[in-house]
Amino acid sequence: MVDLDLNNKQPMIMHVDLNSCYAIIEQQANRLLRHKSIGVAAYTTPRGFIIASSYEAKRQGIKLMRVQDAREIDPNIIILAPDPEKYFDAHRRFRAVLERYTDLVTPKSIDEFIVDFQGSRMVNEGYDLVDVGYRIKKDIKDILGEYVTVNIGIAPNRFLAKVAAGLDKPDGLNVITATGINNVYGQLNLMDLPGINHRYKVRLNLAQIFTPLDFLEAPMYKLKHEVFKSVVGYYWYLRLRGFEVDAQELATRSFGNDFAVHEWTTDREAIARYIMKLSEKTGRRLRRHGYQAHGVYLGLAFSDHTWLGKSRRFRESIYSTQELYSHLVKLLDVMVLPASVIHINISVFDIEPITPIQLSLFDGTRLDSRSLTMATDEINNRYGEFTVVPAKMANMEHIIIKRVPFGSVRDI
Amino acid sequence: MHIKINQQVSVIACYSTKDRRFTPRRISWRNKDYDLGPVDYYHSYMDGRERQHIFELCDKECTLWFRLRLDSLNLHWTLEATHDGNS
Repeated sequence: MVDLDLNNKQPMIMHVDLNSCYAIIEQQANRLLRHKSIGVAAYTTPRGFIIASSYEAKRQGIKLMRVQDAREIDPNIIILAPDPEKYFDAHRRFRAVLERYTDLVTPKSIDEFIVDFQGSRMVNEGYDLVDVGYRIKKDIKDILGEYVTVNIGIAPNRFLAKVAAGLDKPDGLNVITATGINNVYGQLNLMDLPGINHRYKVRLNLAQIFTPLDFLEAPMYKLKHEVFKSVVGYYWYLRLRGFEVDAQELATRSFGNDFAVHEWTTDREAIARYIMKLSEKTGRRLRRHGYQAHGVYLGLAFSDHTWLGKSRRFRESIYSTQELYSHLVKLLDVMVLPASVIHINISVFDIEPITPIQLSLFDGTRLDSRSLTMATDEINNRYGEFTVVPAKMANMEHIIIKRVPFGSVRDI
Repeated sequence: MHIKINQQVSVIACYSTKDRRFTPRRISWRNKDYDLGPVDYYHSYMDGRERQHIFELCDKECTLWFRLRLDSLNLHWTLEATHDGNS
């Protein structure tokens, strides 16, 4: 294939990123926390993990790390538990602002949106996207609060728009065009590029690619056949030049939940209780989205740094929490636990939209199980989550709390 | 320090037709009245079919932060948490 030039198309893709999202929302909500080093951690205990830190904390090097490690860097850091409902609200308001400008708004995560202005009314009326970007910044301040800032990147494709949004944090607005690509790549390291992790960096280095400019100059054949050894190399070749390869949205393929165990244990009964609560959460999400599953997965991580994962597929569909739980416990029963369990992960896969029930001759009272599940879901919808729970979940109200999602925003 | 309170409190609130906002103005908690500053973040969520309204704001002197919840079913106010801005 002939090597391509850079994409000279007018930049029409905007990446809007609410950086340090959870931390900045907390600073907006509590003015006593502003201009201070704060971290939002999944659990506020020393082993809890910081999932977002304020700019003041980031400047000291506090990013994704354990609370105890962050306190070693800054003993005065303020650690807060996450407030998912508040972040979901911020996400919805953030989205509503962007939808004033065009209907082609795609959430990439709770704090990142792609806005496609191709063919939009704003562009047809002759508005400059940079002006639109500044208007969006102001609108977001009006609707979320004066302390909230966003980064905006504008470019011909999603990848470069994200690169542009990351150039000038925390309140930047940058445009990348074909003429400016070399200049931008010249300021960056390979791992500054979205999607380039340590593993990819090693691969690139082995092929004598050490900088984004080397990456850009690498011929397509080399990327496809020597570096990535798959079509991934071709996608990178296009992406770096500003051609769109990331616009396809993936369909939902699985649902899952995980839990970091506070009191590490080898007690199978205790593990089964955690699995029950995770099953209820996952089952509720599966049913709320109108799916049933044909496969389950159980993953356990242990205190000796090992992990085990087991999955199983079924011809019959899995719909109720009880069905999910009983399959997972069977997987647990055949696992040999080498040490205390510190983390539990469950998921359901091979999902399909709920169909009329196909009764099996050997399933006994399965129809009753489904009716019971629908009735308990209805009660929980009406009176709040975990109003009616299986007996195994008794006294577990505050265990496995609602978590903030990374990536997927389908539950918001 | 963030402290969970979860106590019912007396609240004076007002509604303005001008900016179409409902705002708590004063709370009475532990035999002390606190005049409140502007609402820094408001959101609501459904707890079952009941909507809960959350107001996060500081007192006028900016010495204490409050998280107040108004239950739309019974119109009771609960002081859920406070924070003094220190770790």
